Amino acid sequence: MIQTQTQAAGGAAPPLLEIRNARIVYDHAVEAVREVSLSVPQGSVVALLGSNGAGKSTLLKALTGTLALEDGEVEKGAILLDGEDLGRTPTDRIVARGVSLVPEGRRLFANLTVEDNITMGGHLKGAADLARLRAQVYDLFPRLAERRRQIAGYLSGGEQQMVAVGRALMAEPRLLALDEPSLGLAPLIVDQIYATVARLNAEFGMTILLVEQNAMQAMEIADTVYIMENGRIVLDGPAEQMRGNLDVQEYYLGFSGGGERRSFRDVKHYKRRKRWLS
Amino acid sequence: MNYLIELLVSGLAVGAVYGLIAMSFAIIFKATGLLNFAQGEMGMITAYVAFSIASATDGNPWLTAAGAIVFSVLFALAVERIVIRPMVDEPILARIMTTIGLAVIFRSGTMLVWDALPHDMGLAAGSALVDLGGVRVRGAQIGVVVALAVAVAAMLAFFRYSRFGIAMRAVASDDATARLMGVKTARVQQAAWGAAAVMSGIAGALFAIAWELSPSLYALGLKSFPATILGGLDSVVGSAFGGVVIGITENLVGGYLSPGLKEVAGFVIIIAILMVRPYGLFGEKRIERL
Ligand SMILES: Nc1ncnc2c1ncn2[C@@H]1O[C@H](COP(=O)(O)OP(=O)(O)O)[C@@H](O)[C@H]1O
Ligand SMILES: [Mg+2]
Repeated sequence: MIQTQTQAAGGAAPPLLEIRNARIVYDHAVEAVREVSLSVPQGSVVALLGSNGAGKSTLLKALTGTLALEDGEVEKGAILLDGEDLGRTPTDRIVARGVSLVPEGRRLFANLTVEDNITMGGHLKGAADLARLRAQVYDLFPRLAERRRQIAGYLSGGEQQMVAVGRALMAEPRLLALDEPSLGLAPLIVDQIYATVARLNAEFGMTILLVEQNAMQAMEIADTVYIMENGRIVLDGPAEQMRGNLDVQEYYLGFSGGGERRSFRDVKHYKRRKRWLS
Repeated sequence: MNYLIELLVSGLAVGAVYGLIAMSFAIIFKATGLLNFAQGEMGMITAYVAFSIASATDGNPWLTAAGAIVFSVLFALAVERIVIRPMVDEPILARIMTTIGLAVIFRSGTMLVWDALPHDMGLAAGSALVDLGGVRVRGAQIGVVVALAVAVAAMLAFFRYSRFGIAMRAVASDDATARLMGVKTARVQQAAWGAAAVMSGIAGALFAIAWELSPSLYALGLKSFPATILGGLDSVVGSAFGGVVIGITENLVGGYLSPGLKEVAGFVIIIAILMVRPYGLFGEKRIERL
C-alpha cells in the first residue's frame, strides 16, 4: 500500500497546491464553485469527490488556466502553486511549472497515432528528453508500446485512458491531476489505472489530485479526501476516517434526494451495470 | 494527341495555382477553424508587390522572389494580429464575414495603390517559352508546378515528422487539450497564416508572370476554394490534389466540349464527389469514440 508522506510538522514549505476560498463563475453569472479551500501537500494523494455538477472539473480548469476558454473566471480567492498565486498564468507556464491534467473524457487527439499523442504530452520538452520520457511511459504501459503506430481514436476505452495518463506524464509533472479516470471503464481496467496511479505516488513520489465520482476506489488510494457538493466542500478529512463513515459519505455523494434512498450496495451495483453497458 | 497534351499541361499549371491557394485555405482552417476568404486577394497583393519589386530592380528574379515572400509573411502576420486575433472569441460567422470584408478592402486597395490595368510582370525568365518535347510552356508554368510539388512534400514532412506540425494537427483535433500540453495556440495559428501567405503569394505571382497581372487575379481565390472542399477542408495535401483535378478538368471541358462550360465543370465534379464523400476526398472524418 501507499505510505502516507506526511509533511514535516511546522515546516515553512507551503503545500504544492493550495486553493484558498475560490469562487468561480462562468459567463459572469453561473456560479460553479461558491467557496472552496483545499490543500494538496507535496507527495500526497488527495481525492476530490462529488456528484455530477458539483464543480470538480471547474476547479481543475482553474488550476490549469483553461477557464477563460469557456468564459470562466476565478472571481474571488486564489490558487497557489508552491505558495505562489497563479493569477492569470498562461497554461503553458503552468505545465512548465509541473502541473499535468488528465482531462475528463480523456480527450485524446483521435486522429493522431498513440505515439504522436504521447509525444504531444512532452511538447515543452527538448528532443533529448522526449525519447527518455517515451521509454518510461512505454515501460509503465507496455501495451501502448505495441500500439504506438495505431490511431488513438480506435483504441479501447482502457487503452485510451492509458494514453491519456501516459501523455500527461510526458511533462514530468510534480502534480498529476486526474479528472474521473474511471469514467466509462470496466472495473478491471479501473483497477489497473488506479494501481498505476498508486505506483506513481509510491515509487516516484508524484503528488496526485484525483477527482472522482467513484468514491470507494478513490478513497482506497487517497491520503486525504474532500467531498464537494454544489460548489462547496461539505466534508473533508483523512481517508481512513472517511472510509469508516459510509453513511455520511453516501449522503454527501448525492443520493440523499427525496425518500427513495437506496442502500450503498444497490447504488454500487447499479453503477457497475451502467459502466458495463457503456 | 498534341492538343490533349497541351490541354493537360496548361491545366496542370493552372491547377497548381489553384492547389497552392487551396492549401492556404486548408492550413488556416486546420489551425484556426476559420475560412479566410481574403486568401485570393492576399495572393494578388503579393503578386503586385512582386511586380513593383521587379520594376524597381530591372527584373531581378531573386530579389523579387525574396522580397515578395518576406512581404507576404509580414502582411499576413499583420492581418492576423490586427484584425483576426482580436475577434477570436466572436461567433464564427462574424469572423468569416470579417475576412470577406477584408477581401473587398484589399481589392479596392490594390486598384488605389496600383491601377486597374493589366501589366506584364517584367520578369523575362518567367515568361520565356520553354519547349518540353513539342509542348511549349512558359517558365512560370513550370515554376508553379514545381512550387506545388515542393509545397506538398514540405507539408507531408511537416505534418508527419515535425513536432510543430504534429502540434498543429493536435490543435486542429482539439485546441483546448493541445493547450493543456503547453502548446501556444497563437503561435501555431501565426505559423499557419504565414505558410498560407507564402503559398498563395507564390501562386499569385507565378500566375501573373505566366498569364498577366490584373485586379481580376483575386478570382483565383474563388476558383481555389472549391478545390479545398474537394480535397477535404482540413486536408492540406488533399487540397493540392483538388486544385490539380479542377484545373485539368476545366481545361479538358473547355478544350473539347465548349469554352462556356469551362467555368462550370469544376463545380459539377465537386458536387458529384461531395455527394459520395461529404468530408471531401481526403478530409479527416471525426472519430467519435469513448
Ligand atoms: N462552460 C461552462 N459554462 C457554463 N456553466 C458551466 C460550464 N461548465 C460547467 N458549468 C456548470 O458548472 C457547474 C459545475 O460543473 P463541473 O465543474 O463540470 O462539475 P463536475 O466536474 O463536478 O461534474 C455545473 O452546474 C455546470 O453546469
Ligand atoms: Mg467533471
